[in-house]
Amino acid sequence: MNINVSIKPGNRIRAFYLFFIIFDIQMGVGVIGVPRFIYMEAGRDSWIAILIAYLYIALVIYVMFVILKKYENTDLFGIHADIFGTWIGKLISTIFIIHFGTSFLSILLTYTEVVQLFAYHELPNFAIAFLIMLLVLYAVFGGIRVVVGLSLLLFISTFWLYFILYDPIMRMDWHNFLPMFQTSIPELLKGAKETSYTLVGFEILMIIYPFIANKNKAKLPAFLGLTLSIFTVLLVTTISIGYFAAEGLKHIDWALLILFKSASLTFLERLDYIVVMVWLMVILPNLVFLLWAISYGVKRVYKVPEKITIWVLAIFYLTIVNFFHYDYQIGKLTDLIARYSFWLIYVYPFILLIFVLIKKRKRRQGSEEA
Amino acid sequence: MWKKQKPKNKGISIFPIKIDTLEKILIDKFEGNPDLKFSRYTVSNRNVVVFFIDYQIDMASIQQSLLQPLVEFDKNGKKLTNETLMNSIPVNSPSTSVDIEEILNGLLIGKVYIYIEDEKTAVDYIFAKKESRSLEKAETESIVLGPQISFTESLSKNMNIVRWLIKSPDLVLEEFKIGKVSPKDVRLVYMKSLANDDDVQTMRQRLKELDVDEVEDAIVLKQYIEDSQNNLFPQFDITERPDRFAYNITKGKLGVLVENSPSGFTAPATLFSFLESTEDLYMRWQAGSFLRILRFVAMFISILLTPTYVAALTYQYAIIPTQILISIGQSRVSVPFPPIFEALLLEFLLELLREAGARLPTKVGQTMGIVGGIVIGQAAVEAGLTSNILIIVVAMSALASFTTPSYLFGTTIRLIRFPLIILAAFFGLIGIVFGITFLIIHTLRLKSLGRPYLVPLYPLQIKDFNKVFFRTPFNHSSKRARSYRPKFIKRFSSKDADQIRDIDE
Repeated sequence: MNINVSIKPGNRIRAFYLFFIIFDIQMGVGVIGVPRFIYMEAGRDSWIAILIAYLYIALVIYVMFVILKKYENTDLFGIHADIFGTWIGKLISTIFIIHFGTSFLSILLTYTEVVQLFAYHELPNFAIAFLIMLLVLYAVFGGIRVVVGLSLLLFISTFWLYFILYDPIMRMDWHNFLPMFQTSIPELLKGAKETSYTLVGFEILMIIYPFIANKNKAKLPAFLGLTLSIFTVLLVTTISIGYFAAEGLKHIDWALLILFKSASLTFLERLDYIVVMVWLMVILPNLVFLLWAISYGVKRVYKVPEKITIWVLAIFYLTIVNFFHYDYQIGKLTDLIARYSFWLIYVYPFILLIFVLIKKRKRRQGSEEA
Repeated sequence: MWKKQKPKNKGISIFPIKIDTLEKILIDKFEGNPDLKFSRYTVSNRNVVVFFIDYQIDMASIQQSLLQPLVEFDKNGKKLTNETLMNSIPVNSPSTSVDIEEILNGLLIGKVYIYIEDEKTAVDYIFAKKESRSLEKAETESIVLGPQISFTESLSKNMNIVRWLIKSPDLVLEEFKIGKVSPKDVRLVYMKSLANDDDVQTMRQRLKELDVDEVEDAIVLKQYIEDSQNNLFPQFDITERPDRFAYNITKGKLGVLVENSPSGFTAPATLFSFLESTEDLYMRWQAGSFLRILRFVAMFISILLTPTYVAALTYQYAIIPTQILISIGQSRVSVPFPPIFEALLLEFLLELLREAGARLPTKVGQTMGIVGGIVIGQAAVEAGLTSNILIIVVAMSALASFTTPSYLFGTTIRLIRFPLIILAAFFGLIGIVFGITFLIIHTLRLKSLGRPYLVPLYPLQIKDFNKVFFRTPFNHSSKRARSYRPKFIKRFSSKDADQIRDIDE
């Protein structure tokens, strides 16, 4: 396997798209339910927990950039092959690909569940998944430029969702935050850990990096994208704590959607219906990026053509969604992903960094001796 | 279709030949055409023959400037040869030909041939007469302010208009012949100093490699050479307005004019270029921006309004506020159909009206509008076929679809509505979101002359927004749109334009 990849000029993207990429892939089904999980751990001081998560993720992204900078033009798969050799490298790359695959499934299932819960109780899993898969396939077959463009356009066409939150903000009770700073540090850290499922996804940076044309400008947009998604999580959590009574939040599964419910305009009511549907536009970039990353990864690691991977996966997903019928099944899957993605995404980059640094140092020494 | 054309093989000379034989050959070749005129003269003791097709040429001027000098050639006492003949005839650009095929094709485009017996070549002059209508007002793309003239079927008139609009030696009108059975003159128009070389090369190649028997019109040629023919979206911008054509050319795009076609097309186009009108430039910038934004909103209304009605009434009626819901309920009380049927019925009726209005003569067409709009609409409500709210909805989306300056694109928008209505009826709001997202992906994948279709939105070019989505005063638009990659971007110095003068200076 070639460690460095050469990308055709027509397939390169400008660095500032990373802003939309990072933001879009972090926003998805997670943010709908995340306030409850953070609140259960960190209570009133949840906002501190989120800020801790922010600092930590910023550090992880920085580490990713450090690792990537050590190479000429490569991605995660190339680095694995370089550091761990063919077989172990392939194994770890495969773990990542499986991680993308399970994330894809959990997003697909969670959104299907939300749609069924809020609007179509009778519509089978297959029908909703089929509609979504059509869009995903059509986008992924367009290649990297379409995938990135989709994330930009859907960002623009869903940005108005922020403005609907004006209504719950007006109804917030600020006393719900008092007294402040009562939560112990281990609880805050646990709260920060609860964001891991929601904010995971930025590892796409290590896959998409070789496609970026002006790499020296890549850091700022990536961090800004992270900042906006942290801001969103912070906003949603803060409003949820202020809007719902303290004990109530612990029993609310889809806090964000309930928040949207409270707004009403003179010409439109029950905005939550519209939001649930438009949320398709929010999760779609996630799915598209993940499927693209899987097909690209399989091609890099196993040299299988992307089209074959995509078709096989599409059939696989459309089959497997029919076996999930209950909330607890999806919950179990989500928990599983949250647990291992913490180690894979939030801890593993540091280990990789150590390996890369050792290897590079050895190589430099080797070349100096020679 | 995309095969390379074979180079034409040069014919063998049939000259020198006796005049009788020549006449026989020509009459054999033009079987069943009694219009080939063949007149013999004897000048300076040599047999001369003049032949042409009479309705293809200008008889008055051939009498005066060709036949007269020929008959009076004896007076100057020289020996008659091709050279002396060409000298004494006061018509410019004579040429000579030897090949019989060449002569036959020449006769068709209005050439007059003179053959002096036993000479090695025949001399020909162009006296083409081509009927065309005079210049008229633009009908399909009419605007209120600005030039009203439109292209006509005559290529030379069209080129004349374009040349007068862009009086620059940079303007290139490259010639192509397209069609094997009946070749048509096609001109590729661009500014040498502006147009992107890659684009010119791509367009040239597509025109050159097009291998068809004939093209009927510019719009047909456009479909042949577009990036994707199966697509609902037009990828090149067609126009009958010379000012719009010239505006695009001076911004670095390419234009194509076709013989016998009253429209030209420009490329590369974007989704947004179909919503631009040159009238935006003639208006004050505030009004221009307003109109442009209005057209965008109109596009969305036209696509989304009826499907949303269907989706809301079929599934998610909770999104409608109670007050409106009550009045909708009241007006739908006597309607026995589901919303989808009701909506399709009315949309279909409206399309019928539009089509009938377009086919009928103008005076009857107006009556059609009144009959359709008022009488049928009112009757449909009273008969309990539709609700009157839906009539407003459908009328609004129909009106909105007519605001697009490009008729072709307006048709696209009207067509898109139908699948969306059906999706809305099957899946409700999520069907609409699905449809819109599908359209977004679809337009993202589209290319026009190899360039992205959604530029400047994607790839994002924020500096071009004031040329596409709204309009700023001219001193703020000192640059051309980067999106089309012209060779140079600056139009004028922005420093001079922004210079602030002191009071009373």
